[in-house]
Amino acid sequence: MSKIIEGLYYTEDHEWIQIDGDTATIGITDFAQSSLGDIVFVELPEEGETLEASNSFGVVESIKSVSDLYTPLTGEVVEKNNTIEDSPESLNEDAYASWLVKIKLSNKDEIKSLMDSKAYQNYCEANS
Amino acid sequence: MNKTSLYEEHLALNAKMVDFAGWQMPIQYANVKQEVQAVRNKVGIFDVSHMGEFYISGPEALQYIDSLVPNDIANAKTGKAIYSPLCRHDGTIIDDLIIYKTAEDKILVCVNGANIDKDYKWFQEHLGNFNCKLENQSDNTSLIAVQGPQAFSVLQKIDLGFKLTDMDYYAFQVESIQDFDIVVARTGYTGEDGFEIFGSHEYIKKIWSELIKHDAEPCGLAARDVLRLEVCFPLYGNELNDDVTPLDSALKWTVKMNKPHFIGKEALTNYEPKFQLIKLMLDKGIPRSGYPVENDQGQEIGSITSGTMSVSLSKGIAIARVDKKLYQSGQEVLVNIRGKKYTTQVLKKPFLTGGHK
Repeated sequence: MSKIIEGLYYTEDHEWIQIDGDTATIGITDFAQSSLGDIVFVELPEEGETLEASNSFGVVESIKSVSDLYTPLTGEVVEKNNTIEDSPESLNEDAYASWLVKIKLSNKDEIKSLMDSKAYQNYCEANS
Repeated sequence: MNKTSLYEEHLALNAKMVDFAGWQMPIQYANVKQEVQAVRNKVGIFDVSHMGEFYISGPEALQYIDSLVPNDIANAKTGKAIYSPLCRHDGTIIDDLIIYKTAEDKILVCVNGANIDKDYKWFQEHLGNFNCKLENQSDNTSLIAVQGPQAFSVLQKIDLGFKLTDMDYYAFQVESIQDFDIVVARTGYTGEDGFEIFGSHEYIKKIWSELIKHDAEPCGLAARDVLRLEVCFPLYGNELNDDVTPLDSALKWTVKMNKPHFIGKEALTNYEPKFQLIKLMLDKGIPRSGYPVENDQGQEIGSITSGTMSVSLSKGIAIARVDKKLYQSGQEVLVNIRGKKYTTQVLKKPFLTGGHK
């Protein structure tokens, strides 16, 4: 069973989101890293770029696959985790400690579309 | 969906199964990196029973197969395996094969799993008046590959039912066990030393579980693809396909123009290659099949046929098919990955030389 942390929000694309005021920190879940296998490459947007909800903002690659990262929220990238681009394998080690980007939210209403930990757990069980 | 005789064994080993060419095949077990490293440093085993096996027997078996393929089978030694493309009259590639010359009147042909029906139809259509019998034994045959520097020593530890010979690369031995010809060949698709074993389903199941007991690492198709790409072995459907000839695909060495005849000879005699396969290595970014390849002017000159992250080198590696008219040796080549241009190093030699004999 993959790890799910209470207090975070989740998406159907297996991303986690931590909300702190009007900043959202986005990463991929333990379920996502485990399905991908060995993660060998991560491509993230630059600081200052604006991400549109439900658009792709980067990729995560395992040896055999390329997976898009989708943001569920609209906002400007205020910080990206450069460490992850240099050592993508840390996503396999601890997906929740390895955040990808922080964005400044332009529409906090979008948070309502996210799942809480309980809903995400049900979603994972229904889809496994 | 077809299942190999080892299907239950794969599930028991927690393999991740995928649909590959109509077969349920293990793409990976625990971890692709670990599997690749096991083959490079110790020993790994692969179920490749989706591959097809045709038998040709009779007085004109040799003339028949020799008329079908560009490589020279007639003059090869008995007990030797030969790699060859199979071409149409226009020179384009139907498949790539390994042809085992078991005896002067007996030939085993190993074909790609995805191409069994296409190849068999072609073989049947060109049997003509040759005095020999053609049989498709794909459904009755299992095939495993035992690959890595410890392949020979681990196979010596298990009871194969006969003594394994320390044979040369691309040599093979045939042993009859319960009326089934077991073929053990010193061949493989990893560049390492190793063997491929053709046998009945029961026999191969027994050998597989013996090998697992002796700590051979089960390896899936993902590891197999990384391993073959690191040593630049072509894959049908990627480097080779219905639209290109061996002369477009670094297979000139398999085309023996001094043979009196083979299907495709006339077309290939005057053929001016349109394409060239080049080997690319990237410091950053992972090239994937289909990505455009460009020159330093931004002109598209071709595309990636196979690409991956090399486990052994920790770099992106790829083979690309480029238009011969648009590419000159020594010129800078860039890969367009999601709109970003990545510089590459064009290699003359394979990314890695395996330790095969």
